[in-house]
Amino acid sequence: MGLKSTLLACAALLAPATLAVAAPAITGRVIGADGKGIADAVVFVQSPTDSRKMPDGLVPMATMDQIEKTFVPGLLPIVVGTSVRFPNHDQIHHHVYSFSRTKTFELPLYKGTDASPVLFDKVGVVKVGCNIHDWMSGIILVLPTPYFAQTDAEGRFTLADLPHGQYSLVAWHELSKSKPEETAQSMDVGKGATPEANFTLALGPARARPAIRGSRKEP
Amino acid sequence: MNWWARRNLRTKIFLAFSSLVLAVLLATLGLTQLVVSREAQSTLNRELLTTGQVFEDLMRERAVRLKSNSVLLASDFGLKRVIATYDADTLASAALSYQERIGVELFWITDESGVLLTVSPGKPGVARSIADFPPIEAALRTHEAASAIAEVNGSLFQVVAVPVFGPDVIGFLLLGHVIDDALATRLKEETGSDISFVTDTRVFASSLPPAARSRAVSSGERRARLLRESTRSSSLLDVGNERFLSLAVPIDAHVAQPLYALVQGSYDRALAPLYALQLRIAGIGAAALAIALLVGIGLAGGIIRPVRTLVAGMHEVLKGNLRYRSKIERQDELGFLAHSFNEMVGGLEEREHIKDTFGRFVSRDVAAAVLDGRVPLQGERREVSILFQDIRGFTALSEQLDPATLLRVLNQFFTEVVAAVEAEGGVVKQFTGDGVMALFGAPEARADHSERAVRAALSIVSRLVTLNVQFGEQGVPPLAIGVGIHVGEVIAGLIGPDERVEYGVVGEPVNLASRIESLTKETRAIILVSKDIAGRLGPEFTLGRTNELPVRGRSQPVEVVEVLCG
Repeated sequence: MGLKSTLLACAALLAPATLAVAAPAITGRVIGADGKGIADAVVFVQSPTDSRKMPDGLVPMATMDQIEKTFVPGLLPIVVGTSVRFPNHDQIHHHVYSFSRTKTFELPLYKGTDASPVLFDKVGVVKVGCNIHDWMSGIILVLPTPYFAQTDAEGRFTLADLPHGQYSLVAWHELSKSKPEETAQSMDVGKGATPEANFTLALGPARARPAIRGSRKEP
Repeated sequence: MNWWARRNLRTKIFLAFSSLVLAVLLATLGLTQLVVSREAQSTLNRELLTTGQVFEDLMRERAVRLKSNSVLLASDFGLKRVIATYDADTLASAALSYQERIGVELFWITDESGVLLTVSPGKPGVARSIADFPPIEAALRTHEAASAIAEVNGSLFQVVAVPVFGPDVIGFLLLGHVIDDALATRLKEETGSDISFVTDTRVFASSLPPAARSRAVSSGERRARLLRESTRSSSLLDVGNERFLSLAVPIDAHVAQPLYALVQGSYDRALAPLYALQLRIAGIGAAALAIALLVGIGLAGGIIRPVRTLVAGMHEVLKGNLRYRSKIERQDELGFLAHSFNEMVGGLEEREHIKDTFGRFVSRDVAAAVLDGRVPLQGERREVSILFQDIRGFTALSEQLDPATLLRVLNQFFTEVVAAVEAEGGVVKQFTGDGVMALFGAPEARADHSERAVRAALSIVSRLVTLNVQFGEQGVPPLAIGVGIHVGEVIAGLIGPDERVEYGVVGEPVNLASRIESLTKETRAIILVSKDIAGRLGPEFTLGRTNELPVRGRSQPVEVVEVLCG
């Protein structure tokens, strides 16, 4: 829920200021080779990359929370240039870090919600972990565009508020065997009918992660 | 067999005895060899298997320890930070430090795709992919720790690859323990068996000293064969002056050729106690053999001595000494044999005595013939010459002389008669008080029995002449005799009831011979023979008058011829 509200907040922040005419939303599904919907895939506009600037002094913000020794949300897509806060809502310390080449950072052991936000200024995948809780793992997907949508449990997505125009849409998933650009679909977003885009992704096997020790209910 | 038959009893007993002891000794040695060598081999085999097992356990245990150490190390946040620098020099120096900290001989770091970031020991900045190196390949695939035995830079290593999570895989650590001579030597110290890590063409490591190595693990085709043959069960390898029992334990490894842990134990060293034991048994056996030979000699002597004494006694008896008695006093079979021998010789002596005594009254020849069974029980017809002799005027003589003198005179005379008859092969069949009846040609058949009878008669007369000279000196009147001889077929055989049976002849010729003797009185001849006798005499005999004289009981006169004394 946190994710959705954050996204909506971002979109709401951007849309009225920049878009003169809002086109109908693009809807569709991301499915696997077996026809079942894939959750937690991200569909975004690959090109044209949005050249519009944020209003001066306004830096988009996002939050990846730490609740019950889990990153919430586990997947956080953001537009490049977004600052992400990592508030700790547990009663214990966390040590948030990433060794990803896209963004290497570290928030040494801390409690509370006051940790400094981290600016993600490079497009790419950032895998976030906690040094003292091996099972804690999150992904921050830094995208070149503010136009993206995350699929729900059935693989459905809705990409709203796109201006009229020609777009190349791609789909990303953590386990996808294809690079996002290989999934590109051209879309003509104009007047009238709601455009629909469907993606089929072949997923690799889920990676084994360190087992979660102890109950999440523990403080 | 002939050879054996020719050996004397003592040699046979001795040989049999020592052969038996020798056979027992050899059987003992053979059996010991069989049992102990089998036991030694099986013990050695067990040791080899144990070594193989210990080796496998050690490898497994090392892999587990290496894995857990590696996993712990991979979780070290400092290490993750270092990897995230992707700075070659930093990584190289850190790798060296970690290598020493954890105590491994090989410490490599790769990135998340298997591209080497640093190697220790080695030069930094070797950016080649080892994604297909077996443990890395497995770790890449599973994101879990993987181990393998593999060749690295010409040496054999036990390596473990573990992923480094941050929180997803950001790289891999590759840690390795070398499998070298030191490890092989340690294994040998623990298990007592030599161990070598070999392929058909290479020796990676061995506990054997370099000098013995090439011999024991062999080389080329020979080693390939050795490895093949000793994979399932141990095989024996002869390397000049020493034999090795070898067991090849296949090792699952990533090297060009199949890798084996070749476990070896010296077969000869394992058998050394057996050889010592055999030497002792042989020593004891030799002593036992010597004692057995001495006992054998003694025992053979104990049996042989009385036998020899008996054999000597037998020789004495053969020579005619029937008084010989064995002096062997024993309770066993030899004692019985000696006793029986004595009884037998006693029996012989008694028989001889009887024969001797019997012969005084009858002819020795008859006695011998009867005793020897030469007289047919049914009787037989045969031609014999019969001699009758009589002393003239015996009645007057018996009145003249006292009984003792008479008997002495008679005995002296008859002794000469018997001697004369026997000298000619005749037998004195009967003493008639003052005369004798003698047979020639029975029981001993003689072709010239008639001549013999006549010669005997002449001898009697001649002996009497000498006797009469003696008698004259003693004041005894001279004896005068008459002799009648006839020849004819008679029935000869044993005559009389069982307890009084005697050899005799019956038939007309016997009666006629007696009548012819009677005729000597009236013809005043000393020796008268029938015409049948006279016809059989050779020219050396001097014949006198021939008369035809009537004979009592016969219708026809009998023609008799006087034989003149030379």
